[in-house]
Formats: sequence, structure tokens, C-alpha cells
Amino acid sequence: MVVTAGIDVGTGCVKAVLFGSEGGKTTWMGRHLERIRQRDPYQLAEEAFEAVLAQAGLPRKEVAYVATTGDGESLTFATGHFYSMTTHARGGIYLDPTTRVVCDIGALHGRAIRTDERGKVLTYRMTSQCASGSGQFLENIARYLGISQDEIGAISQQGKTPEKVSSICAVLAETDVINMVSRNISAANILRGIHLSMAGRVASLIKGVGGVEGTALMTGGLALDAGFVAALADSMAEVKSALVVKSHPDAIFAGAIGAALWGAFRHEKLRARGLGGAAGRAA
Amino acid sequence: MAETRTTAEIVAQCQALFDDLEFTHSRRWKEAAPGRKVVGYLPVYVPAEIIHAAGMLPLGILGGGENLEVIHGDAYYQSYICRIPRSTLELGITGKFDFVDGFLFPSICDVIRNLSGIWKLLFPKVYVRYFDVPQEFTDDVGGVYYEKELQELREGLAHLGGRPITDEALRTSIALFNENRKLVREVYDLRARTPWLTPTSEVYLVMRAGMVVPVEEHSALLREYLAAVQAEPRPMRDNCRVILNGVFCEQPPLNLVKAIEMSGCYVVDDDFMLVNRWLLDDVPTSGDPIQALARAFLHRSAETAAKYQPDLAKKGQYLLDAVRDRAAEGVIFAAPSFCDPALLERPMLESRLEKVDVPHIGFKYAENSGQMQPVREQAGTFADSIKLWSSP
Repeated sequence: MVVTAGIDVGTGCVKAVLFGSEGGKTTWMGRHLERIRQRDPYQLAEEAFEAVLAQAGLPRKEVAYVATTGDGESLTFATGHFYSMTTHARGGIYLDPTTRVVCDIGALHGRAIRTDERGKVLTYRMTSQCASGSGQFLENIARYLGISQDEIGAISQQGKTPEKVSSICAVLAETDVINMVSRNISAANILRGIHLSMAGRVASLIKGVGGVEGTALMTGGLALDAGFVAALADSMAEVKSALVVKSHPDAIFAGAIGAALWGAFRHEKLRARGLGGAAGRAA
Repeated sequence: MAETRTTAEIVAQCQALFDDLEFTHSRRWKEAAPGRKVVGYLPVYVPAEIIHAAGMLPLGILGGGENLEVIHGDAYYQSYICRIPRSTLELGITGKFDFVDGFLFPSICDVIRNLSGIWKLLFPKVYVRYFDVPQEFTDDVGGVYYEKELQELREGLAHLGGRPITDEALRTSIALFNENRKLVREVYDLRARTPWLTPTSEVYLVMRAGMVVPVEEHSALLREYLAAVQAEPRPMRDNCRVILNGVFCEQPPLNLVKAIEMSGCYVVDDDFMLVNRWLLDDVPTSGDPIQALARAFLHRSAETAAKYQPDLAKKGQYLLDAVRDRAAEGVIFAAPSFCDPALLERPMLESRLEKVDVPHIGFKYAENSGQMQPVREQAGTFADSIKLWSSP
């Protein structure tokens, strides 16, 4: 069995997974997620790697390929690095084989990635530099409202008369929210309004990658926000998209999963060329 | 016995030289002995041997880089011109070249040619020469012209230095530059064989040092770097092998090179600063040295966008040869915005690559480009596509 690791260094979290591949079958052997919280992400990545090895009871030398993604390019013990679009597409296919569009909404940006059944990226659209379509913006607003991250989704779904916020600029959107608070708009309606505003942007991105059928799978941190997933489903229905918006309980690991699986694929390719082990194992 | 330096220490010295827009090292060289003179030159090629034989320091001028704010320079060029002439003017107007006694402006493009005229007007007391090279490569036509051009340069520098430049001095300088070119080739060959030992962001700085220090000192630095990197193990990554093309004049910010490498690419060949790689092998140190330099230029010089290729069938062949010889898996075209030579060459090179299924991408930059995310995105997805979807 070929054992490979995927390490996704995101803006908010570090995710690590361990996979075994044999005869076309894959086994998920370990997973670890750590919020960064102003700590050294590379130190956390090393600890996360050790944690998944401990779960599988394997030493480092048994890992044939350590693949990084996200901001993990400079991890010294990695074998190779894959760009996050590449890994989220593959991770999306692993989590739901009907996936044809992956919506990776992380702390700082959002992307719609169109993929084929192999996980090959066909095209993509990405949010611009403004953070108003990102998880970080949502976290900030929740903090101002005194709401914990875990509560955002449930509270948002209680909002019946949402107030829309600026979908262009995070600064203007924050001003909108301050005005709403002063007008006694409920937290539920504020959060629902933000979710709808963000979902509208993401729906535009999805539309931009082409009208396809199948699943639009949410990955990244916001995949776990039920309020946002519901808002995106509503926005997609509004634009009459044939795609079905879904999330997955393990969606936050999509990048790390994709990295580990591409690592196994790449390891096999190098081995076929007689270069197995040429690009070093985990030191 | 001299203390052995680590790669990090050598690169730190080169980084300091790279960052120093006061050209302190070159100034100190000049101040170390009375009567010393410094002659600056712009990309892409000048026969630095002649400057050296005159007892002067050839100073490579490659613009102001990413940290220089251009204020005065913008007044001399319209907005659709590249940045290197503006930042070079900025350096000149703000006194950064007040120790430089002469300037050579090679015939890389109209912009640099016109810069030679502006320089003459702005700095009338400085020796300024537009150094024209032939675009015809037979001994009887281009050769005769180029020998006269070299001879004029020799006489001009002799006048500037107040003493003749002898054939013997020229031969000695040619030998020193032969040695330097040999070491440069060794570094490039080593990088192509083991790119994980010699990141291009380091190699670039080591080569860049050769623009501001005497050739003897640079050769020693290259020897030291070669020994240091081979003595220090570094992990090999599963990166794809690419050639960087189009970066021969205005230089990209160092962060752009780093972004390409961090995205999963090993740069196994490039066309940075061709002045030290322009002549492909040793120039003879016997016979007429001017003729030897001319013949080397005509028959044994690098083919680039800056050089006319009269045979269309051979256009871009050098790049295909480099792809084969360096075992490259793809080509990244990076050119300065508004760079006529690089950007006009690119479609011809792309069509040659496409005929033999060599993948490529392209983007533009300026020496002060700050936003590297698009580069990371392009280079990263390019590397992934090669690693995952190339055959077999």
C-alpha cells in the first residue's frame, strides 16, 4: 500500500490527512484540523502531520509522498506542492463523485472551480481582492454581534426578513451592519442578509464557470456554515441553475484530501518513469 | 587558510550588493586607487573585456528595481514605455551614478537607444556611447562593421582613461572573462542537473553580483558558491522543470522568481543578464583580440530576441534546444510590460513550442510589480498541469 499525506495550510486552519492507496482503492487513515489562532502555521502543520501519523501508527519513512497545498509551499519536509484549486477539485470528487463544480470559500477568498470526473480543473472564477465575500468578514461580523462561529449558521436560518449588505466592499458592508444594529435589526436577519449577499457573489462565480449539471460541492471553511449553504442553494435556485448545492461533513478537508490523492497519483507516475523516490520521501 | 563561507553567507553578501542602490562596492573600488574609472552599461550585451582592459570597472546597470520610487524619470518617457529607462534616469538624476565616468547604451531597442541621447543631454561631461552591434553575421559585412565599432569603443575608452589599451591587456582581460563565463556555465549546468541545490532566486543574486564587482572577484565568488552548494544537502522536491524566457533586459522583481519557484517549478534555464552568457564559449586569447571578440559575437553568441535571425526556419531553435538539453517540461514566458523585443518574439517562440507539444504560459511584469498572487496562480496551475496531466 502506498501511503501519502496531504497538508493544507489555510488562512484560518491547518488540515492534515493520511491516505493509503492500493489497487485503485483508497483508505482514509488519519485526519487532523487545527485552528491557527495567531500561531506559527508551519509548526502547526508539522504537528498535524505527526498527529495523523500517530493515528495510523506509522513512522514518517512509510509515507511515500507528502503533498502540501494552500500556503504550505515552504514546508521543508514536503515532497511536492499542488495549487489549491487542483487539490480542492480532486477532494471534491473524492467526497462526492457527482461533483462538477467545487465552491471553495475560505477565510480570505472564494472560488468556483469547474472540474471533470477525474478532478481535472477545467476552468475557474475567483472573487476579487475585497474580503466581503470571505469567511474572515463573516467571522468579524459575528464577533461584533457577540455570536460564536458555531452559532452563525443556525441563527442565520432563523432570519425571515434579511437586510442586504454591500456585496462589494468589506468596509462598506461593516458600516451597513453598524447601521443595522443601531436600527435594532435582529442578529438573525443581519447574518441571513450577509449570507445572501455572499451567496449572490458565489452564485455569480458558479454561473461564470459554465452551465453544467451535477453537484456544486462546498469546500473550505464556509462549507460547514449551514446558513451559508442554505443561502447559496436559494441563490442558485434564483438563477435557475441545474446544479445542486451540497456540503459534506468532511468538506473542510477537501484540499488536504486532494493533495494526498494527487500525491499518490504523482508517486505512481514517477514510479512508472523509474523515478520512484527520486523526489524525496518525508525527511 | 581562508574561512569557508556557507551558501547562506555568500547569498547574503550578494543580496546586500543587489539591494544597494548607492553602488557602494563599486564606489569603494574606484576610491581604492587614484585615477580609477567606472563605465556603466545597460542590457543586453557589451564587450566588458575592453572596459576591463582599459583598467576600468564595468558596471552593469539593470534599472532601479522594485524599491526605487520613480519621480523624475517619468517626466522623460511616455506611459507606454517600460520601466527600466525611467528608473535608470531616476538613479542618474538623483546622483546615484555620480561616480560613473562613462555609459554604454547597447542596441537592444529604440527606448535604450533614445536613452543614450537623453543621457548625453543630461550629463554632458560624461562619456556616453550608443554601442551598436551588427544584425548581419558574415565576417565581410557585419564583421568589418563590428570590428570598427569595437575599435572606436577601444579608442573612446583609451581617451577617457588617458592611456592606450594594448592588445596584451585585451588578451589578459579576455582570458579573465573566459574564466568567468566558464564558471557561469558551470553554475547553470549544476542548476540544470540539481536544481534543488541551486534555487534560481539564489543563482540570480550570485550572477547579479557580477554586475557590480570586478570580474576577478566575481569569479572567486562563483567558485565559492559552487563549492558551498555542493557541500550542503538540500531536499529534492517534486517540482516540474521550466525555462524562463524574456527576462533579458528589465529585470523582474526577485519575489517573482521566488513565486515561480514556490509554485512548484524548478527553473533550469533562463535568459537573465545575458551579458555574462552572451558569448557561448571561450574567446581566443591569441591573434588580434578585437577580431576575436568580433568573431565570437558573430558566430558564437546566444540567440535571443535581441538578435536578428535571418533564417525563419531557425527562429526559436535555441529555445527548443534548451528544452531538450535541460530536460525542461515547459516554458514560462515572462516579459516586461511594453518590451518590444521580448513581446514581439513571444508569438514566434510559442508557435515553435506548440509544434512539438511543449506546454507554455506567459505573463508580463514590471521591475516594481508587487502583487505576486496572479503569478503564483498561473505558475502553480501550470506546474500542476505538467505534473498531473503530461504524458506519460
